[in-house]
Amino acid sequence: MTTPVPAKRQQREEYRRKIQEQAERGGDGDLSSVKMPQKRFFRQRAHANPFSDHNLDYPISPAHMDWASHYPAFVDPDASKINLGGTRKLTKDVEVVDIGCGFGGLLVGLAPILPDTLMVGMEIRVSVLEYVRSRISALRLKQQALKKIAATSTTTQAPSEIPATPEVEDDEVGSTTTIVPGNYENITGIRANTMKFLPNFFGHHQLSKIFVCFPDPHFKARKHKARIISESLNAEYAYVLKPGGLLYTITDVEEYHHWVLRHFKYETAEGENVADEIAGGIRDLWELVSDEELEADPCVRVMKFETEESKKVTRNNGNKYVAVFRRKADPEWPA
Amino acid sequence: MASFQHPIQSLELVKRQSQGLSNVLVASAGPYIYSYAAESGQRLDVWPQHVETSRAAASGPTSTSEDQAPPEKRIKLSSPETESEDKPSANNSLTWTNIPMVLSTSDGKHVVTLTAEDKCIRVFSLSEDGKFKELSSRNMAKKPCALDLTPDDQTILCADKFGDVYSLPLIPGEYVKPKTQAKKPKPVATTLTVHSKRNLRSLEQQHLHAERAEKAEKVQEESEEKGALNFEHQLILGHVSMLTDVVAVSLPGAPGSRPRNYILTADRDEHIRVSRGIPQAHVIEQQCFGHTSLISKLCIPSWAPNVLISGGGDGHLLLWNWSEGQVHQSAPLGDSFQDAIISGIWDVSFDQPAVTSGSINVILVGLEGSPQLLCYTLESDNTLKSQGVIQLSGNVLDLTTLDSNGSIVVSVDAVRAPGSTDTWKESLVSAQILAECLQIGISDGGLKWAVSEDSRTACINAGGTSGLSATLDAKQKKAIDDTLYNLGNLRKRTFDD
Repeated sequence: MTTPVPAKRQQREEYRRKIQEQAERGGDGDLSSVKMPQKRFFRQRAHANPFSDHNLDYPISPAHMDWASHYPAFVDPDASKINLGGTRKLTKDVEVVDIGCGFGGLLVGLAPILPDTLMVGMEIRVSVLEYVRSRISALRLKQQALKKIAATSTTTQAPSEIPATPEVEDDEVGSTTTIVPGNYENITGIRANTMKFLPNFFGHHQLSKIFVCFPDPHFKARKHKARIISESLNAEYAYVLKPGGLLYTITDVEEYHHWVLRHFKYETAEGENVADEIAGGIRDLWELVSDEELEADPCVRVMKFETEESKKVTRNNGNKYVAVFRRKADPEWPA
Repeated sequence: MASFQHPIQSLELVKRQSQGLSNVLVASAGPYIYSYAAESGQRLDVWPQHVETSRAAASGPTSTSEDQAPPEKRIKLSSPETESEDKPSANNSLTWTNIPMVLSTSDGKHVVTLTAEDKCIRVFSLSEDGKFKELSSRNMAKKPCALDLTPDDQTILCADKFGDVYSLPLIPGEYVKPKTQAKKPKPVATTLTVHSKRNLRSLEQQHLHAERAEKAEKVQEESEEKGALNFEHQLILGHVSMLTDVVAVSLPGAPGSRPRNYILTADRDEHIRVSRGIPQAHVIEQQCFGHTSLISKLCIPSWAPNVLISGGGDGHLLLWNWSEGQVHQSAPLGDSFQDAIISGIWDVSFDQPAVTSGSINVILVGLEGSPQLLCYTLESDNTLKSQGVIQLSGNVLDLTTLDSNGSIVVSVDAVRAPGSTDTWKESLVSAQILAECLQIGISDGGLKWAVSEDSRTACINAGGTSGLSATLDAKQKKAIDDTLYNLGNLRKRTFDD
């Protein structure tokens, strides 16, 4: 006798199966028949242990990674170009990573802003990542349907005038009613523990942007080792970022903001700002980006106002602390 | 019931550069380290001494069964460890039961050891007559998994279980503790960051608690002190994974500039990272990808600093051009060793007077709980050539060269059955063998070896080590097994998330 599956879980599983089928079927080109996944069927506890082994899939090296299945629109037409993992190569490298992408709001928000840049969200929680994948695949299907409509309509009707299907959740990002640049073909999500395996996915100096948005604050001092920003990890971020590349951080926890500054050696333990006194160390590799520059950066706007988590913080009247660091060139070897 | 002796866990040949001083062999067995004259095998010293004498006094009257032990182990030096029938930790003041790591500085003046349970890095000076003098003892916060010395011998690198590498000066100077304000733990979460009913309630509790603590003016400093290390140390790099080995190495720099120092670190998540040396250890130069299971050992041959040989649990030795992150060769260990975990990779180089083509470069590979040593030569084109398997009388624990003529001393486990990490022998038939001498040479163009009778190892074996009761219960035996054989625990288990 099998124990009966709780009704709620059964409902979730059924729902996810349907969404999965939709993604596999590839839609039937009908705009309204493509359903956006709903978050409530994918929620998962907000924490995961980064030290645990989990059941992770990760490539032996960046050259073994199968990116082709993630970005079908960017696969190199030359089928003879194969990587070490035996899969097709892309026409360009992935350059933007959202570490701990959650439900993927940042990716969806950035996709039209950087339509020619390949971006990936990495998330350790299985069902949250499943949501991201379903969401992106549904957005792509919507785009395909919209393009079909635009192509068949003989009039010069603007895409935005297509009757909207208001099925989006209140904090939803991403357009389901208009054609956007890039058609969401440039974003994807991967389940990964970046604290352990980031260099398995990306080579030396490959990335131009890394986002760390509203990371798990791990309030207890005992858990600080699990924080996604630390001097040791910053060295790893510097390895995958190209010189001139940017690492964006945003948090609603003031203490965490100071933790970030401290671990890039832009603040001491006493909370004093240090301009240039601390030379050497990890400070060799990073430069704090000025507020004026942040004002002008559209990515900061998306990160601050357009993602689900930032909207939630706004709703709760929370604060948002932004710190962005630019990767400097490697220091000279000691003479 | 005859008692066993602790097998030699770690071996190191201290090459003394000062004129007139001969080399010393340092070995750890059980809770003790021993020094032997490398030329004769004669024991020179044992550490710790004072503990042993106090133990002698304490346990002298009760330990009567010791007479049953074979008399040839009872060579009386000044060592009173003959009464150590008792369990190592039961009735003495030692805070450790074994010493998994022994290394020495290249000038042969200092010996660095790690005592296991107290996580203590101890530095000794070695006197002219081979006696230990403890200079410093530094207890680390997390369990060290590997130690190395920087090429200038000035700094100890300590890689720990939590993935961090710390640098410690070999000779600690005066330590001035960085002043920290006695910060009262205040909740950092606020009602702006915490929203759920339950979290809000616990936040309220935290605030209440903090207030109360403030009123009572509890001295918080002590609790803060607990985790702090009271000696100079610096976190220089880290993985989010258990580190298994660390190697510091130096490559010649561009013409006219200084040599370039590097630190290589390996972890149980298949990573080998190449970082710059101190003070730029935060600059990662390469990642060496290729292993598909945990990595347990890194070896950079002394004669080929640009070559790295690594191994672990995936049944392959990988040979790297590590500064480029490139696998140069992947050598399968062979079908019968597929599931083995590499426990040691040793580089051995010696002159062969009969051959004019210079020295012979040998790589020996030990497997956890195996009495066999895999033997390779590193050819001039930097490839490994298999030379066969050397059979020893017990599981190989460690080895080191003894001289420049091809003599190698191998420490073997005579307590457990060969090939097993947990089956203890019923009893000893004859005197326990601690070390065997391996003689390597060349004949007919191939490598030849013999496990030979040697006066030096005979002398070491006759000297013996501290006793190990054969009548321990299963749990105690398991604890002792784990001190020698612990790599199997590093394999990943598959489970559902």
